Amino acid sequence: MTRANYLTVIAAALLALFVAGCGTTGLNPQGANVTEMKADERGFVAGTGIESQDLVAVADKMARSILATPQIANAQGKPSIVLEPIVNETRFPINKEIFLTRIRVTLSTKAGGKVIFLARDRMDALEKERDLKQTGKVTGGTPNAPVEFKGADFILTGKLQSISTRSNKGSSDYVLYTFQLLDPRTSAILWEDFAEIKKQGQSDAVYR
Amino acid sequence: MNKVCQLAGVALLAAGCAAPEIKKAPVASNDLVEEGKKLISGAAEKDKILWRYRVALVALKAGRFDEARQLLDECLPTVGAILTADERTLKARSLFGNEAHKIYVGEPYEQAMAYFYRGLIYWMDGEPDNARACYKSAQLIDGDAKDKAFASDFVLLDYLDGFVTAKLLGDGSDMLRRARVSAKTNALPDYDRVANVMVFLQFGFGPLKHGGGKYGERLQYHAGHSAVRAASLKIGEQTMQVQAFDDLSFQATTRGGRLMDDILADKGTLKKPLDAIATVAPAVGVVLAGPKETRGAALPLIGAGIAAGAISNSAEAMADTRTWNNLPQHLAFAAFRLPPGPHSITVEFLDGAGKPLPKLSRALTFDVRAGRDTVMLIADQ
Repeated sequence: MTRANYLTVIAAALLALFVAGCGTTGLNPQGANVTEMKADERGFVAGTGIESQDLVAVADKMARSILATPQIANAQGKPSIVLEPIVNETRFPINKEIFLTRIRVTLSTKAGGKVIFLARDRMDALEKERDLKQTGKVTGGTPNAPVEFKGADFILTGKLQSISTRSNKGSSDYVLYTFQLLDPRTSAILWEDFAEIKKQGQSDAVYR
Repeated sequence: MNKVCQLAGVALLAAGCAAPEIKKAPVASNDLVEEGKKLISGAAEKDKILWRYRVALVALKAGRFDEARQLLDECLPTVGAILTADERTLKARSLFGNEAHKIYVGEPYEQAMAYFYRGLIYWMDGEPDNARACYKSAQLIDGDAKDKAFASDFVLLDYLDGFVTAKLLGDGSDMLRRARVSAKTNALPDYDRVANVMVFLQFGFGPLKHGGGKYGERLQYHAGHSAVRAASLKIGEQTMQVQAFDDLSFQATTRGGRLMDDILADKGTLKKPLDAIATVAPAVGVVLAGPKETRGAALPLIGAGIAAGAISNSAEAMADTRTWNNLPQHLAFAAFRLPPGPHSITVEFLDGAGKPLPKLSRALTFDVRAGRDTVMLIADQ
């Protein structure tokens, strides 16, 4: 090999290194376009926690199960249900009302008016409005009218529990969702159902 | 002469016109949270979580809980996700990539602290079960320590997990037992289910990362420090002395190494022979360039040396030393039972010998609301 050839080879090697050094360093440098997804689809930003697809699947299953329960399906009249916030015993902080809201809305739309939900979470506003009516400040009220707020026939509530493990092999989370329909008069559990989801995954080596 | 003066004048004018523009230094306000938010918006995407952590803690200590909540909520979905390979992680792993190219989420003790502070805010917001969820997540993050003796060994996280469970009428005794085992003492107080004022305390300055080894490839820590080891709290007639539950330097340094450390060590191992070639080959080449019969071999050797040096210089073995640098060294906790209404608390910070450090003492007022726990964070710094 002549001297000129050596120099050419070295120059090419240095140029290649320089180009390699200039390589992009961006995470997904072009970015990701906003993608509209269905709530029951698994997104590309995923963890082993409680996600929207779990919420949809669990709420739909519970709503169907409640509708099939004899106390609701064969009820005389329209039973009133109050939602009691669920208890979160998992390792995932969640909006505790979202499951019951999803179940309530599903029941309201699919039950064809078979059940009535009582807005106990709006009692402050309801009492204020009732007081305005009873004092004659707004129309529609009668002074000293008896209490008209309905009592609940059933209380719908639930609990989220989990078993979580983490090791150098990855993370695993099992979440058990249980929901109950309670009789507030007798404390009897009239209906109960559950759903369970297990997820596991492992982050890239640079995060371990 | 006049012409000369005129030319000189024009020249001076032209020179004046070309003078560099003098920019005023950016005006910084005394509002550390707002200044922090500017730093977050100016930070590279890969560093935003780091800045959010830092500013969230500044906001929390300043009593700006809404801002702290929002900043932590912007971090935790990423911290809690399964972070799979992408272009940036592949780069961080490659010979020519720096570990600090990856999106910062922090080492496990830093991630755990993000959950810890978010839990504190959940509790403050009247959601103790979500606070407990944060403590559980924080403890789990510490669960994959190589040395199992130090896995999930935050004392305060177990203690609070059990405390919330007890307050929600569950059985927190297992967690209390675990906390006492981790603390290696039975001095941790029993749970008071009726306690309604939760005082979180933090002392000192937390650990800082640095790169050890020849190429900075070993993630190491400068231990944090704190003159304060305990605090004496006085609310009305009630007084309580609180010892530190946890030491963050201990948490940072007892995990027993990361998988990434092996990758960085491999990079360092590759750099060593390249450095040797880069040093020796050109010198030998120069020697060989003298005699006519060896001159042919000189140029390739010099070239190989230059190439090896270039490759070695391009190889990045440095560990990621980005640090959540305003974390404390120690964490502590106390719970009180108080009637609703205004109260004042006097905090005396104590050194290792139990002597008060008067310069750090402070008195605060707070309101206890009925039907909800009152949660405070008090820092000596």
